[in-house]
Amino acid sequence: MSFKLALRNVRRSLRDYAVYFLTLAFGVCLFYTFNSLESQSVMAVLAQSQNGMVEGILMLVNVFSAFVTVVLAGLILYANQFLMKRRKRELGTYFLLGMSVPKVSRLMATESLLIGLCALVSGTALGMVCSWALDKLTVAMFLTTPAEIFTFTLSLPALGKTALYFGVIFLLVTLFTGVSVSRARLIDLIREGRVNEEVAQRPLALSVSLFLLGCVLLGAAYALLLMRGLLRIDPLWFGMLGLGTLGSFLIFRSLSGFILRFTKGHAGYYRGLNMFVLRQWSGKVRTNCLSNTVICILILLSIGVTACAVGLNDTITAQVEGYAPYDLTVLNYGRGGEYELADIPALFRAIGVEPEACFSSVESVTVYYNEEEITGMPGPYFYAAVTLDDYNRLLRNRGLPPLEGLSKPIPAPESIVNGSAADGVAVIPDEMASLLRPRRQMVNINYRGDPGQVDGLVRQALENARDFSGGLDIMMNYRLDNYYDAMGSKILVLYMGLYLGVVFLVTAAAVLALQQLSQAADNALRYELLSKLGAPEAMRRKALVRQVALAFLLPLALGVIHAVVGMRAANEVIAVTGKVDSVRSSLLTAGFLLVIYGGYFLATCLGSWRAVREKS
Amino acid sequence: MEPILTVDDLQKTYGGRGSRTKALRGLSLRVFPGEFVGIMGPSGSGKTTLLNCVSTIDSPTAGSIRVDGTELTAMKGRALSKFRRERLGFIFQDCNLLDTLTGLENIALALTIGGAEARSVESRAREAARLLGVEDVLDRFPYQMSGGQQQRVAAARAIVNRPALILADEPTGALDSKSTRMLLEQLEGLNREEGATILLVTHDAFTASWCRRILFLRDGELYRELRREDKGRKEFFREILSVVSELGGDGSDVL
Repeated sequence: MSFKLALRNVRRSLRDYAVYFLTLAFGVCLFYTFNSLESQSVMAVLAQSQNGMVEGILMLVNVFSAFVTVVLAGLILYANQFLMKRRKRELGTYFLLGMSVPKVSRLMATESLLIGLCALVSGTALGMVCSWALDKLTVAMFLTTPAEIFTFTLSLPALGKTALYFGVIFLLVTLFTGVSVSRARLIDLIREGRVNEEVAQRPLALSVSLFLLGCVLLGAAYALLLMRGLLRIDPLWFGMLGLGTLGSFLIFRSLSGFILRFTKGHAGYYRGLNMFVLRQWSGKVRTNCLSNTVICILILLSIGVTACAVGLNDTITAQVEGYAPYDLTVLNYGRGGEYELADIPALFRAIGVEPEACFSSVESVTVYYNEEEITGMPGPYFYAAVTLDDYNRLLRNRGLPPLEGLSKPIPAPESIVNGSAADGVAVIPDEMASLLRPRRQMVNINYRGDPGQVDGLVRQALENARDFSGGLDIMMNYRLDNYYDAMGSKILVLYMGLYLGVVFLVTAAAVLALQQLSQAADNALRYELLSKLGAPEAMRRKALVRQVALAFLLPLALGVIHAVVGMRAANEVIAVTGKVDSVRSSLLTAGFLLVIYGGYFLATCLGSWRAVREKS
Repeated sequence: MEPILTVDDLQKTYGGRGSRTKALRGLSLRVFPGEFVGIMGPSGSGKTTLLNCVSTIDSPTAGSIRVDGTELTAMKGRALSKFRRERLGFIFQDCNLLDTLTGLENIALALTIGGAEARSVESRAREAARLLGVEDVLDRFPYQMSGGQQQRVAAARAIVNRPALILADEPTGALDSKSTRMLLEQLEGLNREEGATILLVTHDAFTASWCRRILFLRDGELYRELRREDKGRKEFFREILSVVSELGGDGSDVL
């Protein structure tokens, strides 16, 4: 019987449950999508090239997923609390009608379990579609030749993990619901809704000074962050976090009083429903300032993570070209650590690769040991030197403008070879070379014809021959490897960033939406009265939208300010590789914010309005 | 003199096929400017239906209601809202002040909704508060006031935009006797000194005894009319009681 009643309750209050349910399903969907990364075709391609990235990505997914689970569990518990609050009256009625406590507990638990199960199933189904779409997108983004056949794959491990993690969360929620029902007191249940938050009249001076104190604390946190950078993690760093959090909290706590006191008595205060909207907002300040602080931090994290991910992704893309200017670089370390010049084309011919047929260009260059006393370039940072003549020859062949009139050594502006061997090379005037010992031969090769095919041919030949003949210590650096490396990093950075960004943002928006919707019952009475006093529908609707907008915009505004400052600090960390707050990443982040946050905002407006309208 | 409220042959039927309830069966009445009229009657007599129709919250099945020469039954939507906020003032039994606004703001709300000139709002609200003797609670929130103070603030809100007609629905229903007396004294003063026209619906003979004229309803029709004339309040009260007992047999459900 209790199951039937639960089922009917769920169906009847489907609209009440809508936001809760959607958030749950969305959480499950995200979780599944990112945990199914390992079965994605792009991972298979990456794994083919024996790329260490794959394991790294999967490990990070695991770590982040644990974190995300905690965040989502918090959200779900919070949402459940709100639903319970909304239904206290109903609970009270059950008790009054003589249902026993365990029975009501069981009823409520069954309800939340039902919702949980539905969310789990539909979230996973949605996740499968999303994961498939993500796969397609990744392939389109990263693979020039999608040779493999990409099919709709079902990731069993991800499925299991999703079911396990969320199953545990839902069980917890169910337990929690049961316990809180059994501990509820009838009088509280019946009287629910009549008890209002006491709107404390705080003197203007207090509000103003609290607000100013908040600003000062935030300013101090910002100054610390900008001066010390993002990543100097010591006690002071935690102090900075504390200052920022406390500052935000104080601002949220005092802002309404502050604004109220300043606008009161001004003409605008007594226009239309301005006064009403402002009071509606300030009436909930004490309840909401803590959650506002948390939401503001979540928004900061979301913006920061997303923008950094997109920015870094752009940087990596730009770097692939610069990092691997040649199809292949052969590094000849000589014999037993001693420099020895080799005829690389001959060595290729010996293993069965015909240089004339396969290579369009072969350029050999010799780099020298960097002696600090001679070149003046610091030893720890520069391991090698290349003559201006050699450097310009390489650049000219790549169609780049050569360096002019070099009087003293400088760091090489462009990479002279593939990979990290190009880092820490100085360009020296030609005559200085006679004073230095040669260190290494580097041979840059470009393929003729289809690069993928030739690359495969070279690797195969080398593998068949075991190694080049002659016993020289030779390393290869293929562009394709660099490419896969970069692709791995891109996927890692972008996906992890989006994963966390979306989760944070959805959590923040969902909490706000739930808060607003749970107030709908109280609001309905107030708006009904407004209607009786003759406020037309358009006026009431406008007031409601403003009320919801205030709730959504304030944490957003402070969060965006935090993020702007935070990204400046992040820039300095990543300055070596590029900027994170480029126009593109900012636009992308803004768009992403607009869609998710804006979507929740619209849904909340619609839901609140419906609740208010039903009443009047 | 032209009546402020004219109700002609008002009918209201609730329910659909099968079970129809006639709440009002062709009720007619007139209220003139400066009158303080009470409406009494047992439960189900149609008091609340009448008030809802006059206050435009509900629409009648047939008949006409005119306030200050304006036919209400023909009005819709926006015009109705406008009429309600400009020509009518309401005092409800409970849940009548916004808990998030102070006393002053609650009074001012009636003005700001009507788009009153923002600069004059505060002084007009204070003036209304003075008339009802609640100047000292203007900065308090409803939960910080007594029930009587709340109700008088609500009354101040009802008169603040100088409505043609003030409608009071059981205004003393939730008040103790001291607060009841205070509110009624203020309403009487308002009627006598400011010439406000008040239509008050009540169960309570004591409350009704403050009115100048009382209309008794039964089963959706006018049953009896009682005028105070020059009688003292106590005498009037006894008269009312006798009609009430007549109305309800033993009068048990009217008191």
